[in-house]
Amino acid sequence: MDFLIRSRTIVAFSVFTLFCIISLSVQNSGFTFSIEGIGSAFLMPFQKSYNGIQGGLRKIWAGFTELSEVRAELDKTREKLQQYESVSEELSEIRQENNRLRALLGMKEMVGYDSIAASVISKDPDNWFRTIVINKGKSDGLKINMPVIAFKDGQKAVVGKLVEVRGSIARIQPLVSPSIKLGVQLQESRYPGLLYGKTGSSDICVIDYVSKTAAAKFGDVVCTSGQGGIFPEGLLVGTVMKTELPDSSAYQRLFIKPIINYAILEEVFIITKEPDKEFLELIEGEE
Amino acid sequence: MIFVYVVSAILMIVSLIVQGHPSFDVIRIADVKPDLLFIIIVYLSYNFGSFYGETCGFIGGILHDCFSRSPLGLLAFPKMAIGFIVGMLGRDVFKNSVITITLLILLASMVKGVITLMLCYVFHEASISQVLTIIIPEAFYNALISPIIFILLDKLFAKELDSEGNL
Repeated sequence: MDFLIRSRTIVAFSVFTLFCIISLSVQNSGFTFSIEGIGSAFLMPFQKSYNGIQGGLRKIWAGFTELSEVRAELDKTREKLQQYESVSEELSEIRQENNRLRALLGMKEMVGYDSIAASVISKDPDNWFRTIVINKGKSDGLKINMPVIAFKDGQKAVVGKLVEVRGSIARIQPLVSPSIKLGVQLQESRYPGLLYGKTGSSDICVIDYVSKTAAAKFGDVVCTSGQGGIFPEGLLVGTVMKTELPDSSAYQRLFIKPIINYAILEEVFIITKEPDKEFLELIEGEE
Repeated sequence: MIFVYVVSAILMIVSLIVQGHPSFDVIRIADVKPDLLFIIIVYLSYNFGSFYGETCGFIGGILHDCFSRSPLGLLAFPKMAIGFIVGMLGRDVFKNSVITITLLILLASMVKGVITLMLCYVFHEASISQVLTIIIPEAFYNALISPIIFILLDKLFAKELDSEGNL
């Protein structure tokens, strides 16, 4: 016993090291999942309270500082509303015409998915991993692999997908994470590719396996291809920043700047679309 | 010493929450943010010894793992190991001054980064480019802000440091 007390530094170091090695070796098992669950449940109330207090203070401060701005904005909004009312009528006519043309072409109706709105309450505190925590979870009907989007200038853009769902929170793996793999295509030329994050810390994505015949240029828009069974087709992903034509490869590589700015992301929408079961089984089978 | 335990626990939780809060992203430089928890662990280890440093490193690291998407132990082990090393060598090698503290945090952050990279390589996924994109920028960022944090914590723990003869 005396030996243990005298050598407590070395003993503790050995025990902690052993624990870390065992838990890393059996990662994703029930053992690590339950410890992470306990830790997460312990920290989440602090995190939510901090988020709530900060949000409340910001609103109170905004009440004082933004009143005149809000008034000016209200006047502008009223003007815009009048314009939009006329646009709305025009739009419904265009929609009807579009439906008629679709019917003529024999195309399927674009599938609309239900979505759940959520707020970002936390981000990964470390530079090595890039995840986002939201204030909705299993109790709100969320499931792993559901796609997450946000609106940018009125258009739907991909944020990422759910990788962890607990009681009242869920974790999003963003597009910029190297772990994510997403089927995408160039919006104009329709050439497909496979998108993933460049590094854990950068805000740049890479698209591999794009045919060298695809004439991609700076500013070209990239959207989801619908392949992969998780994301619906046609959601905006990003714009091309740079192209790379390696001599050793039959494909070109594109560097993409995501539409979503993750530094200022506050609100997201989770599309309550479950991934295609057959596809998931196929992936799990391969793994 | 109870004051030290309680304040250390509060500091670790608060640093994790602040670090994880979306608004903290605003202070990213070169795509990285500083690791406040790590700086606090080095401080505790430097002033209160190896055993306390490694224990705080382990507990703080496990909480960090729970908070993050990392496999359990991946962020805990480097913090615990640095807590142990800094506690062993800290005061003998690095005397209490702004320059040496900066140097200590710079070196400790680099070693932590290398250990994390190795663990990522073995147990998760890693790329050597992370030395340039994460380890070096984060080490400089940590080193840059560490003197301020050390001064603030010195004031907070003034009584305890005095009784330990470290002030």
